[in-house]
Amino acid sequence: MAGKSGRSINNVPESPIKKLIFGWEGILILVFIGVNIFCKWFSEYYNMFNLLRQMPVYLAEVFLMLVMAFILVMGEIDISVGATVCLAATMACIASNAGIPFPLVILITLLVGTCCGLINAVILTNFSELPPMIVTLSTQIIFRGIAEIVLGSGGSISVANTAGFKAISRKIGSVPLILFLVIILAVFAAIVLGRSTFGRKVYAIGTNRLAARYSGVAVQKIRFIIYTLMGTAAGLCALFMVASSYGANTTTGTGFEMDAIAMAVFGGISSTGGKGNMIGGIISAFIIVCLRIGLGQRNVNGQVILLIIGVLLIAAVALPNILGSLKKAVKK
Amino acid sequence: MKKLLSVLLVTLLVAGLMTSALAGTADGKKIALVGKSAGNAFFEIAAASFKEAGEGEGATIDVVYPEAATADAQIKVLDNLISQQPDAICISANDFNALQAKLEEAMDAGIKVSSFDSAPNPASRQVFVNQAGTVAVGQALIDAVYDMAGGEGQWAILSATSQATNQNAWIDAMKKLAEDEKYAKLELVEVAYGDDEPQKSTDQTQALLDNYPDLKVICAPTTVGIMAAAKLVQDKPDCKVKITGLGLPSEMLEYTGADDAHSCPYFYLWDMQLLGKLSAYATIALINGDITGAEGESFTVEGLGEFSITAADDGGTEIVQGLPLQFNADNIEEMAKLY
Repeated sequence: MAGKSGRSINNVPESPIKKLIFGWEGILILVFIGVNIFCKWFSEYYNMFNLLRQMPVYLAEVFLMLVMAFILVMGEIDISVGATVCLAATMACIASNAGIPFPLVILITLLVGTCCGLINAVILTNFSELPPMIVTLSTQIIFRGIAEIVLGSGGSISVANTAGFKAISRKIGSVPLILFLVIILAVFAAIVLGRSTFGRKVYAIGTNRLAARYSGVAVQKIRFIIYTLMGTAAGLCALFMVASSYGANTTTGTGFEMDAIAMAVFGGISSTGGKGNMIGGIISAFIIVCLRIGLGQRNVNGQVILLIIGVLLIAAVALPNILGSLKKAVKK
Repeated sequence: MKKLLSVLLVTLLVAGLMTSALAGTADGKKIALVGKSAGNAFFEIAAASFKEAGEGEGATIDVVYPEAATADAQIKVLDNLISQQPDAICISANDFNALQAKLEEAMDAGIKVSSFDSAPNPASRQVFVNQAGTVAVGQALIDAVYDMAGGEGQWAILSATSQATNQNAWIDAMKKLAEDEKYAKLELVEVAYGDDEPQKSTDQTQALLDNYPDLKVICAPTTVGIMAAAKLVQDKPDCKVKITGLGLPSEMLEYTGADDAHSCPYFYLWDMQLLGKLSAYATIALINGDITGAEGESFTVEGLGEFSITAADDGGTEIVQGLPLQFNADNIEEMAKLY
């Protein structure tokens, strides 16, 4: 087996330091440094102050990646999260406008997200033969449908009392609160996935679900927990989305599931399951965020930025295979 | 000596060019124009004329489009712009309220914020340039009806849906203006709704023709409605009903003409080129401190006249561009290439 790092290049010695340098994470760190050097050269506005100021909008999606990584490691997928973000954000606005105190608004938002996750979890564990792609596609339509009905003909809602949302989008020094939260949760998620029994079971499910089940892993229980938490993460993301626009609309969260998956896959987490780790996902998330900010600061067309990220993704997925076949060719 | 002279002359020439280039009122200023999304031909006409007018005054104009037609994507664009610290941002907003936090941040950072085409809420902007006031549209349309009907007779309205806010505002304006004595001999027989669907609009037009044999004019303040009605009427050689309203020149090219072979003598739409130009000058006036966006202020645009800032329906302030542009046999071919 190629170890936990999905993109580790064949025949790399398993010494941890060498693995870090020559493995996929090593490449990612180099790419991260490269992207930052490039952005600094490309944009005269690319500095720590602006980076920290612009980061929050993108960081909300990193919450999704943290749980999406678990789902991908299991070899599964959840494409309903963007819609969950939309529904949770809508409910957050409604709750806030109803005069409910802000701590309760936070709770309600997380709860709405969790409930959406729970619905996925219940369906997927009770009918475990159903493909997650199809189930979450259906719930995606349902969640966004509910949000659209609630939002009505105008298609958008805004919060009247912005104080609470202003508070969560504030900065400590010049560092936005959300960055601290992302780092804390990322460290926690990395430990759970990489160092705990729970994490090892997730890898076991992703490698061979049947074998995992026969060796006593409570497969359905673990899937249930992860899909539910995916909803909670979407609730958290929704909270910060509302904080950035003081409102929600029918397009809130569109495409977020794909962004989260892209971050994870670019980080070396294989969508076929069992491979990759959280560190890769986190580094790649920051690579994408830095690249988008750097290119955006020079008004590079939004579609062009997406195209560049798309090319990077394809390269990231294909690189290990290309290197592998090159190595074979050299050996011959 | 000759060489020295030529160097001197060239230097003078360059200096002369530079001073003439520096004569604008917005030299060295940076303005960012933010669209709703890329690929909107209608907006691009205004953007091109905004750019031309702004650059004519010596400003640098960056036209920026978000990656998607959403408020969230515009927030990312605004974040980028705040980093760049332009002198002003002029935006066509994808959402009325959602940009408030970012646009306030921009204004706090000393960036002037103007808007046109689609306004963000009053707290998010200093001034909005309105393509045409509701009353101005109503006035132009009722006068067109009056003219085409020869001052008297039956007319009808073909609208989009019964809930469309802008449609209803124009219809109400027309009804109110029609109370004037001048229009007393005009009789509005029905307001029909074609739901902005070509087939339904055609059916509704047919119903109007069947129900009111004496009908003289149909006014359709919607691009779908006017095209459907104009096509149906033009296909009936005996039908003398005239069509007017709000339409797109490229869609109305076939039906517009002063003779009986065409069903529509003329129609209206906002002048997007003028909108872009006026918005550019309004933004420059904000930068230069000639206006702050408060009600009652005014500024002059060379060749266009004086514009004053008035209270908008949403509680903010606006600059009303004026009358909509008339499209007739003389200008339609040229305008059809634009929109």
